[in-house]
Amino acid sequence: MNPNAPAPLPADAPWIVMKFGGTSVATLPRWQNIHELVASRRAEGARVLVVVSALTGITDALKQLCSEGDQGKRKAAASAIAQRHYDLLGHMQLQLPATLGERLDELAALAVEGPSRQGELAWAALVQAHGELMSSALGAAFLSHSGLPTQWVDARDCLAAVALPNQNERTKLLSAMVEARPDPALNVRLAAQGEVFITQGFIARESEGRTVLLGRGGSDTSASYFGALLKAARVEIWTDVAGMFTANPRQVPGARLLQKLDYEEAQEIASTGAKVLHPRCLSPLREPRVPLLVKDTNRPELEGTVIGPQVREHAPSVKAISARKGITLVSMESVGMWQQVGFLADVFAHFKQHGLSVDLIGSAETNVTVSLDPTENLLDSDAIAALAADLAKVCRVKVIAPCAAITLVGRGMRSMLHTLSSVLAEFDQLRVHLISQSSNNLNLTFVVDEDVVDTLLPHLHELLIAAGALRTDDSVLFGSSWQQLYGSGEAAVSQAWWREPAERGRLLDIAAEATPRYVYHLPTVRQQARELKSLAAVDRLHYAVKANTHPAILRALAAEGFAFECVSPGELESVSAAVPADVPLLFTPNFASRSDFERGLATRATITLDALHPVEHWGELFRGREIVLRVDLGRGLGHHEKVRTGGSGSKFGLPVEQLDTFLRHADAHGVVVRGLHAHLGSGVLDAKHWGEVYSQLASLAERIGSIAFLNIGGGLGVPSHPGEAKLDIAALDKVLREVKAAYPHYQLWMEPGRYLVADAGVLLARVTQTKGKGSWRYLGVDTGMNSLIRPALYDAWHEIANLSRLDEPADALFQVVGPICESGDVLGSDRRLPEPQEGDVVLIAQTGAYGKVMSSPYNLRGETEEVVLDS
Amino acid sequence: MTTINNPRLTQVFRFLHASYADGVAELAYAFDDGEPMVERIRFPHAPALPDGHKAAFDAALKLLHLIAGVSYYKAGVPPKIEVADGPLDDATADLLDALYLHGLAEFAYRNGLDLRGRIAFPRLGAETKSASPGNGADRPTAKALGLPHRTLVPIGGGKDSLVAVEAIKSIGGEATAVWVGNSALIAACAERTGLPTLNIQRELAPALFELNQRGAWNGHIPVTAVNSAILAVAAILYGFDSIAFANERSASAATLEYEGQQVNHQWSKGYAFEQLLSDWLHTHVAADLDYCSLLRPYSELAITRAFAKLTPYFDAFSSCNRNFKILGPKPADRWCGQCPKCHFVFLALAPFLPKPRLLAIFGRNLLDDEAQAAGFDALLEYQDHKPFECVGEGAEARAAMYALSQRPEWQEDALVARFRSEILPQLDVAQLALEPWLEPSAEHRVPARLRAALQAIA
Repeated sequence: MNPNAPAPLPADAPWIVMKFGGTSVATLPRWQNIHELVASRRAEGARVLVVVSALTGITDALKQLCSEGDQGKRKAAASAIAQRHYDLLGHMQLQLPATLGERLDELAALAVEGPSRQGELAWAALVQAHGELMSSALGAAFLSHSGLPTQWVDARDCLAAVALPNQNERTKLLSAMVEARPDPALNVRLAAQGEVFITQGFIARESEGRTVLLGRGGSDTSASYFGALLKAARVEIWTDVAGMFTANPRQVPGARLLQKLDYEEAQEIASTGAKVLHPRCLSPLREPRVPLLVKDTNRPELEGTVIGPQVREHAPSVKAISARKGITLVSMESVGMWQQVGFLADVFAHFKQHGLSVDLIGSAETNVTVSLDPTENLLDSDAIAALAADLAKVCRVKVIAPCAAITLVGRGMRSMLHTLSSVLAEFDQLRVHLISQSSNNLNLTFVVDEDVVDTLLPHLHELLIAAGALRTDDSVLFGSSWQQLYGSGEAAVSQAWWREPAERGRLLDIAAEATPRYVYHLPTVRQQARELKSLAAVDRLHYAVKANTHPAILRALAAEGFAFECVSPGELESVSAAVPADVPLLFTPNFASRSDFERGLATRATITLDALHPVEHWGELFRGREIVLRVDLGRGLGHHEKVRTGGSGSKFGLPVEQLDTFLRHADAHGVVVRGLHAHLGSGVLDAKHWGEVYSQLASLAERIGSIAFLNIGGGLGVPSHPGEAKLDIAALDKVLREVKAAYPHYQLWMEPGRYLVADAGVLLARVTQTKGKGSWRYLGVDTGMNSLIRPALYDAWHEIANLSRLDEPADALFQVVGPICESGDVLGSDRRLPEPQEGDVVLIAQTGAYGKVMSSPYNLRGETEEVVLDS
Repeated sequence: MTTINNPRLTQVFRFLHASYADGVAELAYAFDDGEPMVERIRFPHAPALPDGHKAAFDAALKLLHLIAGVSYYKAGVPPKIEVADGPLDDATADLLDALYLHGLAEFAYRNGLDLRGRIAFPRLGAETKSASPGNGADRPTAKALGLPHRTLVPIGGGKDSLVAVEAIKSIGGEATAVWVGNSALIAACAERTGLPTLNIQRELAPALFELNQRGAWNGHIPVTAVNSAILAVAAILYGFDSIAFANERSASAATLEYEGQQVNHQWSKGYAFEQLLSDWLHTHVAADLDYCSLLRPYSELAITRAFAKLTPYFDAFSSCNRNFKILGPKPADRWCGQCPKCHFVFLALAPFLPKPRLLAIFGRNLLDDEAQAAGFDALLEYQDHKPFECVGEGAEARAAMYALSQRPEWQEDALVARFRSEILPQLDVAQLALEPWLEPSAEHRVPARLRAALQAIA
C-alpha cells in the first residue's frame, strides 16, 4: 500500500460531488488534472462522486448516428465513436477495461438493430446515453490505474425519473425530470463500496425501466441531483471559466467575478443570459441547502463562484446585468379589455394556439404587451403573421422587433431603485418598450431595441458601478474582472504616477504652499504621446488643444512631433505663441462666425468646414483654398449625451445628404476639398469604432476624388474606474492598418486630446470639514465645480484619494463636495475614503483634460493655479 | 511627354495598347501627350492559352481595353477619342458609343455635363466596309471554340447573385463563383455557396488618383460593363461557355430623365447592354460564348421571394453599399440601415419572410423608424425621384409596401401606418397588387443549357 495514502474514511464522511464537462474529459492531460483535483478532495476527508459528460463531440456524433436511416452508416458511425475512445485509451496506455468493452459492444448492437424494436425515442435515448456510459467507464479505469481506486456507478440505478402531467413521450424520454431528495439508504450503500466513485451526467431511468435523458444542461443537473441525494457538503461544477460574472465577459470585459450568490439570484442570472450554469440545476439543491461551487478547470487557484443559501450580512447590491437578444414584442391595444372578463384569457389562447410561449408581460388598462423569446417557430414559420391576424380581430396589434431584454439582477431590487437614477437616465434617449419588475423582487428588466445593446451594456455596467448600485467595493461579493483574469496578458492596471511615494511627497509639498492647484506631470504626457506614435497607420497626429492649453504641455507635444488642432481664433493664437512656426495647425471650428474664419485664414492653419453656410454664403473667402470637410456619418458615440458629436441630435458636421450640394458650392468658388473629417464622440474604448469611421470616410472620399487625407478625429477613451480595461492601442493599430491596406492612397490623420493629457493632471484640494445628514456623510474640500465641472456636467467619475492618508483603510463612505452654492457641486458620490481631518490633502485624479480650461469664476472663488512637473 | 495639370482641359483621350502575359493584362491609356496610365488585371493561376483560342482571346482583351477605359476617359471627358491600333468596325463602335454615353449619363448629370455629340469612337470609313449594307454583313463572324459547359457566376455579396448561384446549382450545372477586387463580404458569400471560386484583381492606374487630386471629373462609371469584359477574357482563358450575371428586369428602367436624356444608374446592368455585349461576343469572340443575365425575366420582388427561401445566406449577405468593405458578425456591420439599398432590400424581402426573421437579418426595423421616412418615400417615388442606386422600380416598392399595409403584423409600424394614412389614399389600389410582379417576362438571353434554372427562381 502507498504509504502516502490517506487514512480510510469513516462511514459518515461528507460527500463532494464534482462534475466535469466534455472538453475536460476528452484528453489525457485533462484526466490527469481531474485525478489531481479528485485526490485533493479525498485528502480533505471527503467521499468523492465524479459526474462526467461524454467526450466532447461524442453526443453530437451519437445524435447523428440516430438520424441515419441506413444500417451500414450507423455501424460506421458507431465504430468511429468507438475509435475515439480507443485513441484516448491508447494515450492513457491502458488496456480496454471490461466495463467499457461492454458499452462499446452494446452501442454496436444498437446501431445494427436500429429503432424498430424499442421505438424511435427510447432507442435514441439509449444510444445517446452511451456517451456518458463510455466516458465514465474509461474514467474509472484511468483513475483506478492512477492509484485512486474508483467505483463505477450506473446513474440510472440512482436517479429515477418522475412522470409529470404535461409530458408527452418525447419530453418523458429526452428531457426527463428527477425528484431528488436526500436518500440515506443510497448514502450507506455507496459508502460501503468505497471512497471515490464515478458516474454519468445526463441520464436516468424511468418507471418502466427505460433509459431517459435529462435534456439541455443535463450533466450539471445530474450533479445537483446527486448532491441532493447524498446531501453533499458541496457540488463542484468544473468548467472553462471561473464562475458567474456581473455581465457576459464577451460583451463587458470589465465584468467582475461573482464570488457569492444565493440560489435565487444565481438562477435568475442563469435564466437571463449567463451560459455557465443551466438554470434548472439549482433548484434540487435549494431545499437540502447544498452549496454549489463553479470552478475553472484550467485555473483551479481562482476563487470561483459559491452559490448557497441567502446571506444577510451584505448591503443590497445589483449582482449582474445581462442582455437577451432576438426578443419579439407583441403590443395589444384595445378599450375592449377594460374591465372585461376573460379578455386576456382569450388573447393568450391565441398565443398557445400558434405555439408561442410568452415571457415578460406589461399591462395597462387598455394595453397589454408581451415578449416572445426567439424560437425556430417564431423565426421560420408564419406563426407571428397568423397570431397578428387573429389578434387584429379583437385589438390593435403591433409587432415590435428585434428587441433585447436588459435585466438587472439582485436581491431586493425595489429597495435599490434610488441608486439607479444615473443608470435609468441612460434610457432617456432610447426607445424603452417594456419595463418589468418581477414579483420575486430579484430583477428589473428593460426591453429596448436590439441594436443599441452592444454599446449600451458595457456602459450600463460602468454606470452601475459608478452609481454604487453594483458594489464592487465589497470584495467579499465581487472578485477580479474578467479582463484581469483572462485578458490578453498585459498588466491591465498600470499604477497612476501620483501613487509613487516620491511623487506623492512632491504633491503634498505643492499642496502645502497653496490649494486648490492643478498639477501637470509632463512625463505622463510624453508617455501617452509616444504610445499614440506607435500607431503605424497614422500619418499625422494633432493634439486637440481644447483639452488643455497650458504652454508647457503644448511645447512638450510639439517636441514629440505633434501637430495641433484648434477650434477658435484664441486657441490659434495661444498655440502659435507656444510652438515653432513650422508646426502644422488645423482649425476646426463649429458655428464659427465669418470673422473667425477670416482670422483663421490669416494663419497657416488648414481650415475645416462643417456646414453649408460658409461655403454657400462666404464662398469667396475660401477661393483657391484647400479645405477639410467635416461630415456627420449619422450616429454618435461616447460616454455621455453631451459628448456625442454625431447624429442629427448633434450640431456638428455636414449631413452626408448635403455632400453633393457642398461640393457644387466648393467647385463654384474654386475650393478644393482635400480632407474629410468625422468625429463621433468622446470616451470611446472600442478600437473597432475608428475602423468604422475610417472606412466610411474612405468610401465617401472615393466619391469625391480630390481627397488626399482622412481625419478620423479623436475620442480615445481614458478609463476612470479601477480595473476598467484601457483602450487597446495594439488592437487599434491593427484595425487602422486593415483599413489602410484597403485605402492606401489616403493619408490618415487623428486628433486626440483627452487621451494625451487626462492622466497627467491632478487637482489638489484640502479638506475643510465633514457633515452628517441622515445616513449621508459629506466631505467638504476647498474647491468644487468652479475648478472642475466635469462631474456636474457629464456625471464624469474621477477617482478621489486622500493623499495625506493614502495607506489608511478606506472604510467611510462620503459625498465629496465643494464650497459652491449649487446642489450639483459634488465632485464624487459614495466614495470610500479614510476618516479625514481638516487640512488633509485630497487629490482628484485624471483632471489634466477639460479641467482648468472649463473652470469658471462662479462664486468668485478665485483662479485655480497650475503647476507643471517637467520630470 | 507632359504632365497633365488639369484633366478637364485635355483635348484627346487615347487608347494606347493592351497586352497580356503570365496572368496579367495591362491596359494603357493617355490624355493628350501625357504619360501612359496603366491598369493591371490579374488572373490568378492562369493556365496557358489553348491553341486556337488566341484570336478569341485577343478580341476579348481588346474589348476589355476599350471598356475599362471609361474609368480614365471620364477624368477629363475630352472632345476627341483615339484608338492607337486603328478605327473600329461599326458593331464595336456602336457598343462603345452607347456604353460611354448611357453608362456615364449619371456622371454627366451629376457634373452638369452633356455628353451627347461628344462621344464618338473612331470608325472604319465607308470605303473599307463591305459593299452590301445591313444585317451584320460588315461584322466578323467568330467560330465556336468548343468551350467547356460551365458557367462563370459573378458574386456581389448581395441577394441577386446568390439566387442565380442556387438556380444553377438546382439543375446540377457546373459553375464557378467569380468576383473582381477585394471584399471580405463577397469572399464570405462566395465561400458560403460551396462553389469553386475565382478572385480576379483589378488595379487602377495610380496616375488616376493623381488626376483626381488635380481636379478630375469624378462620379459613377458603368462598372458592370468593365466586370463583364473582364469575365469575357476569363471565360476564354480558363474555359467557360457562359457568363451568367444576376441583373433583374428593373435594372433596365431609367432613374430619371434629364434634359431629354434617360439617366439610368444601372445602365450596364440593363437589357440593352446585355444584348449589345452578347451579340458582340458571339460575332467577335466565340460563337459558343454566351453572356446573359439569369434573372432578366424577373422583377426585384420575384427575386427577393426566391431569396427568402435561402436561409443559409441570411447571416452572410449584404446589399448595402456603405458598409461594403467591412465585415463583421453583427447585422449593423453589414447593413447601415440608412441607404437606399438597405431600404429597398428590407422592403422587398418583407412580404416573403416571417417578420422576426427579417428583423433579425437587419438587426432593426427600418419601417418603424420615422427617421427613414424620406428614404422610403424616395423608393416609392413619393415626393422625390428614384435614388441613384441599384434598386427596384417605384411601382414595385409601392406594391410591397401595400402588401405590408394589409398585414396585421406590419400595419402599425410607423412608416407602414404613415403609408396607409398619407400615401395610400392618393394611389389606385388596382395598380398595387404584388402578384403581377412575380410573373416572369419572356425577355431574356439565357442560353438553352441554363434555361431550366429559370424554373428554380419562379
